[in-house]
Amino acid sequence: MVASSPTLGWSGRSLSLLDPTYASKYIPIIASVSEHQPPTWPSYFMDINVLAFLVPAGIIACFLPLSDASSFVVLYIVTSVYFSGVMVRLMLVLAPAACIMSGIALSEAFNVLTRSIKFQLPGSSGTSQADSGDTSMSSDGEQNDIAKTEKMDEKAKERPSKKNKKKEKEPVERASVRSRIEKKLLVLPLEASVIAIILLVLLGAFYVVHCVWAAAEAYSAPSIVLTSYSPGGGLHVFDDFREAYAWLSHNTEVDDKVASWWDYGYQTTAMANRTVIVDNNTWNNTHIATVGTAMSSPEKAAWEIFNSLDVKYVLVVFGGLFPSAHTQISLELKEMFVDTDGKGFDRVRRTEIGKKYFKLTHFEEVFTTHHWMVRIYKLKPPKNRIRGKTKKSKSKASSTSSSKRSGTEAFERDLAEAWSAKCNSVRKILLSLPI
Amino acid sequence: MARSTAMEAERLTLPLLIFTFLTLAAASSTNQIQILNAERRIDLSSHIVKVFLTLKVENVGTTSASEILLAFPPSQVDQLALVKAQIAIGKKKKKSYVHLEVNPTELPDTPNGTKYFRISLLNPLSSGGTATLEVLYILTHVLEPFPAEISQSESQLVYFRDSALVLSPYHIKQQTTFIKTPSTKVESFTRVEPTKLAGRELKYGPYEDRPPYSFSPVIVHLENNSPFAVVEELLREVEISHWGNIQITEHYKLVHAGARHKGVFSRVDYQSRPSFNGVSSFKHLVASLPPRVHSVYYRDEIGNISSSHLRTDYRKSELEIEPRYPLFGGWKATFVIGYGLPLEDFLFESPDGKRYLNFSFGCPLAESVVNKLTIKVVLPEGSKEPSAVVPFPVEQRLETKYSYLDVVGRTVLVLEKKNVVPEHITPFQLIYTLIFPYASENAPEARFCNLVVIYVPVFDIDMLILPSLSEEGDSFTCLIMRN
Repeated sequence: MVASSPTLGWSGRSLSLLDPTYASKYIPIIASVSEHQPPTWPSYFMDINVLAFLVPAGIIACFLPLSDASSFVVLYIVTSVYFSGVMVRLMLVLAPAACIMSGIALSEAFNVLTRSIKFQLPGSSGTSQADSGDTSMSSDGEQNDIAKTEKMDEKAKERPSKKNKKKEKEPVERASVRSRIEKKLLVLPLEASVIAIILLVLLGAFYVVHCVWAAAEAYSAPSIVLTSYSPGGGLHVFDDFREAYAWLSHNTEVDDKVASWWDYGYQTTAMANRTVIVDNNTWNNTHIATVGTAMSSPEKAAWEIFNSLDVKYVLVVFGGLFPSAHTQISLELKEMFVDTDGKGFDRVRRTEIGKKYFKLTHFEEVFTTHHWMVRIYKLKPPKNRIRGKTKKSKSKASSTSSSKRSGTEAFERDLAEAWSAKCNSVRKILLSLPI
Repeated sequence: MARSTAMEAERLTLPLLIFTFLTLAAASSTNQIQILNAERRIDLSSHIVKVFLTLKVENVGTTSASEILLAFPPSQVDQLALVKAQIAIGKKKKKSYVHLEVNPTELPDTPNGTKYFRISLLNPLSSGGTATLEVLYILTHVLEPFPAEISQSESQLVYFRDSALVLSPYHIKQQTTFIKTPSTKVESFTRVEPTKLAGRELKYGPYEDRPPYSFSPVIVHLENNSPFAVVEELLREVEISHWGNIQITEHYKLVHAGARHKGVFSRVDYQSRPSFNGVSSFKHLVASLPPRVHSVYYRDEIGNISSSHLRTDYRKSELEIEPRYPLFGGWKATFVIGYGLPLEDFLFESPDGKRYLNFSFGCPLAESVVNKLTIKVVLPEGSKEPSAVVPFPVEQRLETKYSYLDVVGRTVLVLEKKNVVPEHITPFQLIYTLIFPYASENAPEARFCNLVVIYVPVFDIDMLILPSLSEEGDSFTCLIMRN
């Protein structure tokens, strides 16, 4: 059965790993998820920090010598780096590989440094001290030419350390000669190795600090209660989501259905205790696409779609007044638009949105939260009488053969055309961005 | 035969005598008292209607009167939350007021189902004597919003239905009614001459020489934008712990009982022009809590509500809460307020060894009506014979609650009352006996001794006695000894 499927059993998401343009061509819904976009360069540093520099050193360390285990790790890191470059979500897969690689690099570095210190400590082996003193000069000379970057230092240390390992396999009777050669090749000055060890430890400490900070700031903030700091230093709480859900749970009928984007599905079900149309676990992409179409359609078409789904309330997230990470630009352009007093301002494109001061005829705004983040609209019941000729209202809103001549309908048509054009253009722009 | 009928007649005479006496007494009481002057001031500034009635009564009968009757139309009696009366003693500067008892009463032959309240005078009013009574009664849910549904930008208008004449079983020589409105806007009012509207006061009267039970219905259509905060159900749980803390948890179901909100809610208009939009809505509620309150929390089913402020004083604490959204007509909100109080402020020991809790009845929210108030006082384990002394009638019953480390359960005394207004915030006493004063929580030393008594012998046996009993000195005991 697997072999008989058109894609040989691969799902859409996995196929887009092999061909990054696959999702944007065939399955826009997968392409629209922000976590499926390629990562930016800074996001590598944000996520794995210092490991980004230690990984190449680790790869080189794995090659000297190349055993089965080390070649597996090298393959793992290379494939995970490629895939994380396609989809930022797969940074998760890169993380363990990067940790392993940098662990190898650091351990080799510490090996060399501590060995250097051990051989140079007074009393470790008296005769070898003088010899190592002589040889260390020459080895210094070799290595001081090399640039001071850590990567290069580690390479230099590793080359001698690898050679050291190879030579250890040879018979023991040549140990004394061997040891002289070893010392000649890999002993670094005592002060340099001590400082290098201290610096490496500091590097590890800063890495830990960064990881704790990143986890706290970027990955732990609850996205339902947003906080910001006012200029006076006090904490300002944006509790708009819970406000909207509490309003829904107390002031709507028990059987009323709420349509919103799927991000808020579970929250609405749990806190507002109302039935939703799509939620976080909806696998039916067509169903989600229906809701998406309704969200980005002009008023009349949206009303038709929502009415067919038996929806009573529509919940949209509005970021026009207070910027928040929740403003969904790619598919919910409608909410930036819907503002009856002309305050719509698109922060991304830094322009004011045209077509302000219009009136909604099919929806009415029943609630807006304190900081304007969530807006709830109610579907108005259909009018009893249709103005103009009785036969129609099945044709599309943009059809010019419509017999309706009222000002709002013409206005809506203009709106619809401008909107659909804008939607498409923006969608194309956003999907092409490497964010 | 003749003897039996005679005996029956004898048996009947006594009840007959009592009956005639009662009817005569009733009839005579209405003929005895005459109201010289009745002045009624109705305050409509909030949704709780307060009526101050000053009656100057004169005893024109021959016998002394010990009670005065107040009459209410049957529609108003259901909405009466409180009736209080006091009498003025002394003149001018030495005037003081003594509280009188008011009880509902039934009378035979009442026209149109009038309901009565009886005021018991301290000193019977002698024949020809006069007395001035001040009566306060509070009506709730009498302001009917009309129109019943309003939009955001409209102001709230309500109907107030009452009578221009004071309903009384006595003859009233002169009476005037003043109605105080919250704003100058009065849409319409029924005219019963002489009537005068001046500013915020509507005056009906003065009316001369009206017979008993005279009633003249009037309707006043006025604007009232005060917050119609009605708590549909309030459950207050007061848990007494002899470790030194009283924990109170209050569950509220709040609703805006004014004109229902219809149509659009525009946050733009609400925030930009608050004096014009949503004038009848309310955002803040103030709860008065006792001083030295700690660990106050304000949450609902979803979680913590962060919009609240607590201001404490050495005399009182004020908790200002803001529900998650402003309440418009018909909108509901539910929340829980909890706080702790020190035990020594409220629990006392009476001379006969019983404990009594002096706590305040009622709802701490200002200017709110509670449709159904339930107070559950959870007494510590082992309490017996709880009884409550409350200044007004409440329903009482007992329950049991099982809590931490309880064996027999805690006695819970439940007090229920309907239609509670802020004037009901008065202290009440709850008396109970503590049966095991040395085994319950109020003796931590006793608990410690219990622990010691159990653990020390076990420790002795395990660590000291058992090893010495073993003769081989096996490794296990050696280990123990070494550790």
